[in-house]
Amino acid sequence: MVALRANKADSGFVPAGKARRVFDKTVSTVDPAQRERHADCMAAISANRSKEAFAELFDFYAPRIKSYMLRLGASDSEAEELAQDVMITVWQKAGMYDRNQASVSTWMFRIARNRRIDAQRRQRRPELTADDPMLRPPEIEQPDALLARDQLEGIVRSELVKLPLDQLRLLQAAFYDGLSHSEIARAFNLPLGTVKSRIRLAFLRLRGELEGGT
Amino acid sequence: MLLKTPEFCDNMSYTPANSFSELYSAYAAGCLDPAFALMVETQSVLRPGIGDAVASSEMISGSLLETAPMAALSGGALDRALAAIDALGADETASVKAGLAAGEAMEEVLGLPEPLRAAALDAVGKSGWQVMGRGLKRLNLNAGSRLETELYRIAPGARIPRHSHAGSEYTLVVAGGFTDERGSYGPGDVIINGPDDCHQPVGDEGEICYALAVRDGGLRFTGMFGIIQRMLGAR
Repeated sequence: MVALRANKADSGFVPAGKARRVFDKTVSTVDPAQRERHADCMAAISANRSKEAFAELFDFYAPRIKSYMLRLGASDSEAEELAQDVMITVWQKAGMYDRNQASVSTWMFRIARNRRIDAQRRQRRPELTADDPMLRPPEIEQPDALLARDQLEGIVRSELVKLPLDQLRLLQAAFYDGLSHSEIARAFNLPLGTVKSRIRLAFLRLRGELEGGT
Repeated sequence: MLLKTPEFCDNMSYTPANSFSELYSAYAAGCLDPAFALMVETQSVLRPGIGDAVASSEMISGSLLETAPMAALSGGALDRALAAIDALGADETASVKAGLAAGEAMEEVLGLPEPLRAAALDAVGKSGWQVMGRGLKRLNLNAGSRLETELYRIAPGARIPRHSHAGSEYTLVVAGGFTDERGSYGPGDVIINGPDDCHQPVGDEGEICYALAVRDGGLRFTGMFGIIQRMLGAR
């Protein structure tokens, strides 16, 4: 592991106690109706340059993106600026959003993540091009791919809220905090093998490759 | 934030068993070193299975964004965003067009998959290809990482001088193929070499081979090239 920025507050390392606190509340993702509504907002921004639709997405996502940036170790003002930057990118690139390929939150998360990485690079990327992979998920080239992306999104969400809390916490540490399996093992005080097998089970379940109830 | 390199990673080749690899979750979360992020993105284009694993990882990360607590924004945050939007001119796409026009002069790398193509175009404009021997060229990429990130162009039959590595080296075959003492590799394959591995790759017949190499400790040439390298005072 390489520390590109040696800043203790930046470590992204979540002590077991802290990680636990986050999910003490009930986990809820947006419901399918709200997901459709967000996708409609994107369409309205793209087709009509609707500021009302933009404001609705801003109210929902900007505070969450800021929270994500803070969690990754950005300062309050950096996090605020990055959230602004992401939302303005959403306005500019709304036409590239394809509701059949990804939910609005997955699309926005990808932009937010890449903006954060860009901000850390010595040189900023000049501009997004239409080909930029952050704006599109990788194409599925196999006709026999297991499931279409939008079906997969539906499964991910419905399974996510059903996951046992211990699996959910591990998933968050891996997929949201970006910790390696050995870091997670230390943070949760679990054997490495247990971490790997629990994350594997949860991941397969979220992909619909495993029946629930494990 | 710590950016990770895959010293910990199982493997970059896709099997159902490692589709949940921490490499993809760290990538999805935005915590992977940029040089390796470039490699993951390029490999996902070449290998649908990897693309699927990355996409699933991003869906999980995206869903977790919905569950994130809301941080308080400064007063008037929405108004500032709306003002910024109004300030955006009609020239939103001008710089993209300029970049593409410049790119057309560099046919050499236009066939590469994004995002490698953009990184290579940038490097061709800045430092250009460095000729290393007959049929062998090297392009230094700036992936925003302290790790060495290079694109190799290996003509059919061209030999890369025998070398070992100071640290570990990850090589993704992007197009064409090459063969070393241990096997032959094609597009999407990632070859991992440790400090003890010494090899002499040769470009396969047919297509020109492009390979993306990321390493943390530099190359050590062991033959004649190595004597020259040491004379020049490198490593």
